[in-house]
Amino acid sequence: METKVYGQDLLDLTNSDLPGRLIVLEGTDGVGRSTQIALLREWLESSGYAVASTGLKRSVLAGKGLDKAQEGHTLGTTTSNLFYATDFADRLEKTILPALRAGFVVLTDRYIYSMIARAVVRGVDPQWIRDVFGFALIPDAVFYLKIDMPHLIPRLLNDRGFDYWESGMDFLRHQDYYESYIDYQSQLLAQFDSMAHEFSFHTIDATERIPKVFNAIKRDIEILIKDMKRMEFTHSPQLGFGAANGEA
Amino acid sequence: MATLPNGRELQGKLFIVEGIDGSGKSTQLDLLKKWLIGEGYCVAFSEWNSSPIVGQTTRVGKKKHMLTPLTFSLIHAADFADRMERQMVPALKAGAVVLADRYIFTAFARDAARGLNRAWLQRLYSFAVRPTVAFYFDVPLEESLRRILAGRPALKYYEAGMDLHLSDDPYQSFELFQGRILAEYQNMVQSEKLTVIDATLPLVKQQDMVREIVSPHLKGVLRTEPSAWRSALTGEALYGRYIDDVLHRKES
Repeated sequence: METKVYGQDLLDLTNSDLPGRLIVLEGTDGVGRSTQIALLREWLESSGYAVASTGLKRSVLAGKGLDKAQEGHTLGTTTSNLFYATDFADRLEKTILPALRAGFVVLTDRYIYSMIARAVVRGVDPQWIRDVFGFALIPDAVFYLKIDMPHLIPRLLNDRGFDYWESGMDFLRHQDYYESYIDYQSQLLAQFDSMAHEFSFHTIDATERIPKVFNAIKRDIEILIKDMKRMEFTHSPQLGFGAANGEA
Repeated sequence: MATLPNGRELQGKLFIVEGIDGSGKSTQLDLLKKWLIGEGYCVAFSEWNSSPIVGQTTRVGKKKHMLTPLTFSLIHAADFADRMERQMVPALKAGAVVLADRYIFTAFARDAARGLNRAWLQRLYSFAVRPTVAFYFDVPLEESLRRILAGRPALKYYEAGMDLHLSDDPYQSFELFQGRILAEYQNMVQSEKLTVIDATLPLVKQQDMVREIVSPHLKGVLRTEPSAWRSALTGEALYGRYIDDVLHRKES
């Protein structure tokens, strides 16, 4: 039988029928994942595919609680990992799996790999965090938007500036955000690079312009979805699939 | 000793109590706490499911019946991790006595009773400090049910295991769920080296046994300078969870 999870199959996914496709976009903060997801969603829906999307901290159960905990900067590393795991499990069970059972293309902004990278650079046992997330469904494709620091910094400055957690200020000891950001993001990039083989990432050069990145991802997805059933819409692409289609 | 997962022994001592609802473990831990404080030890206390950071999420999840066995397990692990990181480990490093009402064995028993894989649960909680002594208050199912259900209390959804759909009747569901949890505990007594206390014995007798087991571990444990309030109460032998809130307010 086909193995469908990375570790312990807690949700009995190996025996479940999941006609949809799970597509993950991974990569560090500010690399352009949400832009690409928006583009992909427009393209897929206009091509007649039912699409659901989700991303970190968007669970009904734990999303708000995580946001609140991060405001106070009081989250310890293990607590944070497990809070994120709760958020992920809730989205997997309540959003991703129902959508896959219904034959949707599910676009996920980050998956377990970001959480593994963040945990490992903070000194967490790399095998422990992989085991905790062992119940995760293996996606049909993981696109790793790869970028280097010289390209990343101007994007960050043009966009929203430095963030406490995205700069690793919770555990690195630097005088300022800039130093801390460089150090933290470089460590994250190294983790992603080392995971690329382990988790069979499709590595995409994210230093390229947006349309070129989009086309590179699109080409691979076209192969993945060519056998899928398309939806016949009479007037609207909204399928009334509340849990999966509810969030932006 | 209380021992970190990497094998490092901490200066403080960790005593934890486990058992099904109605085993009397919280009462015994409270009596132990009163005694330790009376003896001048520095005591920190941690209760299952009490993290201020995670608590809100758990409460809403339970109230709205949003938790699956997996998210139920993970959110309680997050709660435990927060208390481990911010309460228990710092106190143990400082050399205090830490008392925990329920510990990882509660998660093992409840989550396994909900059908989660035992090996995964062990791995999930592998960051936990190994306790100095883990007490298990052993009580027959009938006796615990008699104690809990005597007053026909309103049972909460997850407390009664209603999420497992064992029965539509909360009381019957509770009985079946407690039975499963009890079986999980009994399997752990050997493998997890739990120290069994017969919870059908008289309360005072049980406490004597607990103190006798704890005593040899108290050498070198941090003692506290009693505050004026505490000394006044020492004379009367008045300690415990009911007046702790008041004391904390007065002392801060």
